[in-house]
Amino acid sequence: MRQRDPLTLEEERELDALERALAGDPVDYDLRHLDDLVCDIRASAPEMSPAFAAKLEQQVSEGFPAADAPAAARRRRRRFVLIPAGGCLAAALVGLVVVLGLQQQDSISTFASKPAGGEQLSDFAADESAGKAVARDAPQATPQAAAPAPSAAAAGSSATADLSRQSTSSSAARGSGDVAPARTQRKQQRSADLVLRVPNRRVQAAADNVIRTVDRFGGIIASSESSSQGRHSEASFDLRIPTQRLDEALAALSKLGNVVSRNQSLVDITGSFTSAQDRLSDARAERRGLLGALGKATTQQQIDSLRARLRNVRSQIARLNGELDALRRRADLSVVSVSVTGTEAPQEDDGAGTGGWSPGDAARDAVRVLEVIAGVALVSLAVLAPLALLGGLVALGVRAGRRRRRESALDPA
Amino acid sequence: MIWREPRSSRMNGVLIMEEPLNTSTLSFDALYRECARDLYAYVRTLLGDDTSAEDVTALAFERAYRRRSSFDARRGTQRGWLFGIARNAALDELRRRRRTAPLLGDLEDELAAAPDEEAELAVRRSTVRTALAALPARDRELVALKFHGGLSNAELAAVLGTSETNAGTRVHRAVTKLRKACHAPA
Repeated sequence: MRQRDPLTLEEERELDALERALAGDPVDYDLRHLDDLVCDIRASAPEMSPAFAAKLEQQVSEGFPAADAPAAARRRRRRFVLIPAGGCLAAALVGLVVVLGLQQQDSISTFASKPAGGEQLSDFAADESAGKAVARDAPQATPQAAAPAPSAAAAGSSATADLSRQSTSSSAARGSGDVAPARTQRKQQRSADLVLRVPNRRVQAAADNVIRTVDRFGGIIASSESSSQGRHSEASFDLRIPTQRLDEALAALSKLGNVVSRNQSLVDITGSFTSAQDRLSDARAERRGLLGALGKATTQQQIDSLRARLRNVRSQIARLNGELDALRRRADLSVVSVSVTGTEAPQEDDGAGTGGWSPGDAARDAVRVLEVIAGVALVSLAVLAPLALLGGLVALGVRAGRRRRRESALDPA
Repeated sequence: MIWREPRSSRMNGVLIMEEPLNTSTLSFDALYRECARDLYAYVRTLLGDDTSAEDVTALAFERAYRRRSSFDARRGTQRGWLFGIARNAALDELRRRRRTAPLLGDLEDELAAAPDEEAELAVRRSTVRTALAALPARDRELVALKFHGGLSNAELAAVLGTSETNAGTRVHRAVTKLRKACHAPA
């Protein structure tokens, strides 16, 4: 119960005199009754009994041993609970950070390996059913290029084995009809698809490096395209690289940025090639036969008929020659598609493609860890702050209620 | 540095100067020696019962000893802190008593034991004691804290959870009531 009425001047004077009397200082004569009151009240103050005073003195001198024991036990119990709880909380936080970090890493690696995953398998199955052999991330890839994606390299090994089986089976199948050509004479059409990621500011430089690389390996650029939308830039190239130097060229191209995906395919065109060759030989033999027959022809009708057939055979030979040339070109020049995409995120190796873990990488990892920790702390704060506020309000309410209940003991019954 | 006049050294209006105590950093033992008698007098006046007063006094010192590390000098003096603990214990005792059976204060018959030459003084003090016992509990507590406990208005305010000005006002009104009760016809 608070009384907020201000004191009058006289009351303030009396209160001041009371304070002086309590302090042992002299008071005004008209207020000496306050001094008497102070003396009387103090003189009539209840005194401790000697027995109780001695008992209390002993308890104080011994440090309340009976009271201290449970307090110490309580402290131990509290420590017993708080330390594991703190440890669990810290472990949970660390675990959360690690899980978040792994999720982040998984999302990146999943993104990088996705084209070499399920999609690749389905493509492979489709190619196999069509009598083609397809290999992705072929073993020809240089170790440097294969190093950043060991899983892709493993996939490449299995694809190579499948390719060998496919080649063997196709050879065996052909052996029943045609003469199987030697392994060294096989004609294969190779193609590759490479997606690189570089910082936006390096897209143009990477595109220039692609052109220089193509020139270095004697390739040609069938088409190129570059675009820039806002802060996002990208460039794409359709290249023809001599098949004999394809592996070296791919290795060089892979160094121009972070390899997001790298796919290679191989189509065996030996059958088509030998078929065309056979048909060409047949046509040429037929032409020779027709020419011989023409020399021996006696009637004009025979001569006209043989000349018409010779025209057909010549056109057939010309068509087959063109077909063979096209097949040779497919075998000699590999189709390589290169995409360079820009990203705002900092690159791990800034296009150097070293694949190592440099101090810069460590610093970036540390920053990333700090970011995750800050994120966890922020989320925790967002959750805990309202709870703490609520808890504080509840504690205040409980405290006020307890005080009010205690104060009620002074109210008249 | 705060210097406090020891309340217990003042007897019958005669102030006996003793070694001053620094209450801002008293050890528990020194705090006990300085406050024990005053604390008991306050608790006894509030409860009106020797046995309960002894229990509550012992409990207050025990709690203070147990929580001595939690004392914060920025929030008040050790004396005020100790009286706050005692007050909580005493109020809890009052509440417990209210739930069970009320105890009546056992006023001593000082007149019977007083010599003739001190009869007038004894009568006066008996009157004061009777008037104090008849005061409402809140006023009685204020008088006990002020006169027995020797708390300043700032310490009173901290113990009662009110402002210093309000504490002074309440003390004045309690003393006024006490004076009226002393002069009221029996």
